[in-house]
Amino acid sequence: MIDTALAVLPAGLVAALPHLAHQAFFGAVAAAGFGVLFNFGGRTLLWCALAGALALGVRTLGQDAGFSLEAASFAAAATTSCVAILMKGRLGIACHAVALAGCIPMVPGAFLGQALLGFFSVTAADAAQPVASVVGALQAFIRVVATLGAIGAGLAIPAHLLHSRQF
Amino acid sequence: MNAAETDPVRVRHRELERIAHVALQVGCLLTQSGAAVRVAHEGARLIAAGFGAEVLGMRSGYASFEVTVGAGRNTITRMMQVGPHGVNHRLDFAVRNLAVRVSQGGFTPEAIEAELSRLRGETPRHPPWLVALATGAACAAFGRLLGTDWPAFLPVLAGGGIGQGLRHILLGRGINVFVVATIIGCVAAALAGFGAKIAGSGTVDMAMMASILLLVPGVPSTNAQTDIMDGYPTMGSARAVWVVMIMVFAVTGLWLAELALGIVS
Repeated sequence: MIDTALAVLPAGLVAALPHLAHQAFFGAVAAAGFGVLFNFGGRTLLWCALAGALALGVRTLGQDAGFSLEAASFAAAATTSCVAILMKGRLGIACHAVALAGCIPMVPGAFLGQALLGFFSVTAADAAQPVASVVGALQAFIRVVATLGAIGAGLAIPAHLLHSRQF
Repeated sequence: MNAAETDPVRVRHRELERIAHVALQVGCLLTQSGAAVRVAHEGARLIAAGFGAEVLGMRSGYASFEVTVGAGRNTITRMMQVGPHGVNHRLDFAVRNLAVRVSQGGFTPEAIEAELSRLRGETPRHPPWLVALATGAACAAFGRLLGTDWPAFLPVLAGGGIGQGLRHILLGRGINVFVVATIIGCVAAALAGFGAKIAGSGTVDMAMMASILLLVPGVPSTNAQTDIMDGYPTMGSARAVWVVMIMVFAVTGLWLAELALGIVS
């Protein structure tokens, strides 16, 4: 049965499935882990995991389709926000918080760390290739700002357009 | 009984003061639990509405919350200090639920204060060991998403988990949140880096980075943008500066760990 289903899918998509599943699984683990840190309740944690899997799945598909990280992050956040709002009947007003928790694994903390480490390296007395270090750090920093902006906009725009209330 | 105690204007002012006080407590608690400014303002407005009072104005700073409530021609303005910011989903939504119930009437300011006190004390929290384990797992998952190899998985999990456990202890002792970020950044990255090296990982740098991602303030960074979009640029900017400051201190810890492990000179 699985073989029949796979035969219908384009070959490129089939080849990408293991990577997609890997990203979605670890997106779910990261979202649920941070959900525990943010004190989400037991059942809501499952929804956080699903939201994380959806967000990372959409972002991975977007990047595989040639989107930039920023564009793929925006698409993933907007999709997660829309799905969470559509699930409001089950999730209640917590739908926005669940969508946000799902998008936490996409926050580019590692890029911000790389940017700051790059700036630190320039301050060394005998900095090697300072111009390249500054340019690299600035690039990473700009990616952080753009990606965070994309995630925030992707989460907020559907909520505003669909007039989803927070109380 | 003197004239001041029966003066209807003074009596109304005292009532308004009590209303303003509980509205401020709700606004502050929502802010401290990780809610955006719009949500905190709506919570405070619902409290005032439950007493038939109108909110004429509110202002949220990073460390203070102000409200002006009025009824008829009487108005009063009060301000309250906001405590440490964090993220507590269950407390956040319990307070939102209380605000909705109060807006339907039937509460006294004393009853609201008692309920807030109960919510602060009795809202369930996950045990610290579970939070540490889950945070470590989240860091390890982050690592996989960033491209760390399998030998680095357990060291990142251990580094992140121990880092979170230590953060819980240090914050409980009242140590400055930025100092804690440096300490945790150093300890978590050193443990993850050392463990990954011993395990034969080829992605030690990335493992060290992944282990400090528990310190990335994800909710404040998205709240910063939400606040600016909602028309509160002052709070949004303050949150953004706070996020950058936390990361500067966390990365300083990471840099110290790299220095200790001989990854940078």
